Amino acid sequence: MDYLAQFTLNSIINGALYILITLGFNLIYGVTKFVNINHGAIAVVGGYTTYYLFRVLGWQVSVSIVLGVLVAGLLGLLLDRIVFRYLRENKSSNVTQFIASLGLFTITQSVLAIVFGSQLCSLMGDGPARPYNIFGGFLTSVHLATIISALLAVFFMFLLLRYTRFGKIVRALSDDEEVAKIMGINTGQVIGWVVFIGSALAGLAGVLVGFDLGIYPAMGLIILMSGIIASIIGGIGNFYGGVLGSIILVVIENLGMVVFPSEWRMAVAFAVLVPFLIWRPQGILGKK
Amino acid sequence: MNKTTKIILGVVAVVLLVWIVVASNGSQNNSEIKVGVILPLSGDAASYGEPWRNVFDMTAEEINNAGGIDGKKLVLIVEDGKCSGKDGASAMEKLVNIDKVQVVLGGSCSSESLGAEPIATRAKVLLFSAVSSSPDLTGKSKFFVRDYPSDSAQSKVLAELAIQKGWKNVAFIQEQTDFAVALHKSFTDNFQAEGRTVSKEEFPKDTADFRTIIAKVRAGNPDAVFVDVQTAMAGERIFKQMQEISWKPNLLLSDPAMGDGQMLEKNKVFLEGAFGAEFVIDPQNTKLQHLLEAYKAKFGKDVEYQSYAQAIYDQVYLLKDGIEAVGYNGEKLAGWLRTVNNWQGASGSITIGADGDRVSAHSLEIVRSGKAERVIE
Amino acid sequence: MEYLLHILIYFAIYALLGISLNLIAGYTGLLSITHASFFGIGAYAVAILTTQFGLGFFGAALIGMVLAGIGGLIIGWVLSRLSGDYYMLGTVGFSYIIFAIMMNWSSLTRGPLGIPAIPRPSLFGLGLGDNLKLFLLLLFVLLVIYLLSRKLVASSFGRVLRAIREDENALRVFGYETTNYKLAIFAIAAGMAAMAGAFLATYITFVDPLSFTIMESVFIMSIVIFGGFASLEGSLLGAFLLVLLPELLRFMGLPSEIAGHVRQGVYGLLLVLFMMYWPKGLMGKYKV
Repeated sequence: MDYLAQFTLNSIINGALYILITLGFNLIYGVTKFVNINHGAIAVVGGYTTYYLFRVLGWQVSVSIVLGVLVAGLLGLLLDRIVFRYLRENKSSNVTQFIASLGLFTITQSVLAIVFGSQLCSLMGDGPARPYNIFGGFLTSVHLATIISALLAVFFMFLLLRYTRFGKIVRALSDDEEVAKIMGINTGQVIGWVVFIGSALAGLAGVLVGFDLGIYPAMGLIILMSGIIASIIGGIGNFYGGVLGSIILVVIENLGMVVFPSEWRMAVAFAVLVPFLIWRPQGILGKK
Repeated sequence: MNKTTKIILGVVAVVLLVWIVVASNGSQNNSEIKVGVILPLSGDAASYGEPWRNVFDMTAEEINNAGGIDGKKLVLIVEDGKCSGKDGASAMEKLVNIDKVQVVLGGSCSSESLGAEPIATRAKVLLFSAVSSSPDLTGKSKFFVRDYPSDSAQSKVLAELAIQKGWKNVAFIQEQTDFAVALHKSFTDNFQAEGRTVSKEEFPKDTADFRTIIAKVRAGNPDAVFVDVQTAMAGERIFKQMQEISWKPNLLLSDPAMGDGQMLEKNKVFLEGAFGAEFVIDPQNTKLQHLLEAYKAKFGKDVEYQSYAQAIYDQVYLLKDGIEAVGYNGEKLAGWLRTVNNWQGASGSITIGADGDRVSAHSLEIVRSGKAERVIE
Repeated sequence: MEYLLHILIYFAIYALLGISLNLIAGYTGLLSITHASFFGIGAYAVAILTTQFGLGFFGAALIGMVLAGIGGLIIGWVLSRLSGDYYMLGTVGFSYIIFAIMMNWSSLTRGPLGIPAIPRPSLFGLGLGDNLKLFLLLLFVLLVIYLLSRKLVASSFGRVLRAIREDENALRVFGYETTNYKLAIFAIAAGMAAMAGAFLATYITFVDPLSFTIMESVFIMSIVIFGGFASLEGSLLGAFLLVLLPELLRFMGLPSEIAGHVRQGVYGLLLVLFMMYWPKGLMGKYKV
């Protein structure tokens, strides 16, 4: 087995996951303009919903996955309606919204822990997934699904944002909400859709992680942190930035694990973040 | 904040403080013997905290049904140590100062014991652990005793096996917890020598993605991999991901993994031939058999982590004997426990040394068809 | 009585933390989620210096404060180039890096093993070992710091801090070197947090990295949030409430497996509610 091949495949698998997270995160950030920590918890909720339907109730796997994604999207929308819209209307600063999202994250995590326990749940059930040998490295069917999902999501989002009227409106909103309102755009409705789609993407990420590695309630923060770092590196709020940032981060992380002892992995990721924050906070593709 | 709110808050604060002061003046009821217990009931370690709690409850019930201790009912007051030094200390504070116990059965995680011990020593309360295995606790205080041996025993057995097998380098995949670190250290002390190396990759507690670590370890071509985890769950993730890259190295397991019957069963094909060392489990021991049957009858499933479960069972009975011998006094019990010699329990013959540690050995085991079998030399 | 002392000691420690963070966040407007790192530096300084180098508590605590102050200068300098969301994310990054150092640099900190057997303070051979004397010492320190902070806040230095919070650019135009002020207060607050850490170390006589995670920083920030930004008395109140409430839950007789999660959930709910309805906190004078 070739270490390089495996290393490359690992990077691709993780990269795909980060891309799914950053897509949703950047989409929402573009219109709401604050760091929503709860995004990570929503991903985990998607995973748990699918877990419950598929493994506890025994429903069909594709149905469970679709429902998991939908529930995540709806939850994100619901919380936006109840909490964040109120804060937006009261002109709360983005720091306030961030703290509120932190509170929501804590609640979501605790509820999941009470209902499902703190233990790891694997959607896959017992036993490993079948590996496929690719150029000397190994990939499982779940990994393939993750990569394909990420590619499809990127493609779909690209089409949506570039070629549809809705996409144009979203871009207008993220540039300047006030102007968009003046132009007669129903910003409330658009934000709702954006939040729904972004949260659904997060839910999809949660489901895929659940099949591959398993999920547990506290997982949301770690996944999201990586997503945020990737977003910042690439350019926060920027669609392509998220993709670029994910790729760069994943390569650096895996490289870091080769060079440094693996326990420093997250520290390496944050250490990469800091120079970006200092010298190029808008990220590689962001505009100043 | 206006005046009314301030007044309300003030009243609430006063009420709370008074309540706490009053609660601190609780005392022992004469027909009961109240004993504290510290277990990890939340957080990762809750996966073993729960079965252990069951063993405690079952043993106390058994004792009470047979007449209690000196005719008095044994009452266990359980507090959550969360497997942390800070929370172990908090739990200890409450048990000692509010519930006014003379004995605390705990901590479970070594960090809990380390956090709780100074409080025990100051208050002259017995801290008696059936689970904490950190070498740091040996001889720590005359009020600390354990009927579970120190970790150094476990790795010694495995190191000797590795040497015997002619393995030249052993790679550790080690969780970042005090228990796992101690195991690695004592294994290295016993194994490392001319021509023999130990390498390690550490991972933080909640790691789910081991792919790169495993790839890295594999590239080093070790003769064996020591999966040094704190919980069977973490071990399971590692095994799964090893299988996903079609790698089956020689395996050494830490005892949380080796002791999880369910996990061994689920992964029996992959784990066939894996070695571990658990603290003596003698299936012929009648008290152990009784413990296993009673547990199954009461809780409907097999007890997890048998090596610790038997120590807990013995611990409560040891306490009973101690109280019946010298009375319910922390200092006297701490002294009495150190004189325990060849006391027969579910975990075999118990002798406790002057340093408060149990004198004993771990035995080598191998996984066969999903079960851990003792290797008889 | 002993148990009351136990709670009061925790109260005093967290009051110190709340006051020091409030100076940074409430008065200067810098949202720092890395305060637990300085808390940890102080604790580890005392732990290492007393157990390995035989220093007395007071000497070790002082060194800890200096180290934390220097750390504060460095981190503060790096962060001074950032603002708003990025500042906060930068602090999260540092929080993680310092935690990784505590956990991974085992030769210095013994990593997850933690450092046990930390001695209690003694002054000129007179033991201050028992809890009552320790509490009185701590209370004295708290009082001193509280009074000093009040003076600081009322002084012209304090006025500059508040002005930085309101409109830093305007201040720069007037020729103020705002960076220096921000660095100064960051270092001072870091030193105070380290003092709190020193007391934690000597009280529990055991430190390990898990007491100084990002979540701990979030907890300290909540003290400031609930008590109120820019109100020192608010931080005292916040510390009192946040230390007391979990202890009450202990008496409520919840099944112990979910008690911890219920507490987390309630805490998260409070964060959300406060941000929505009382963004100034109970006694605060500034909306974040």
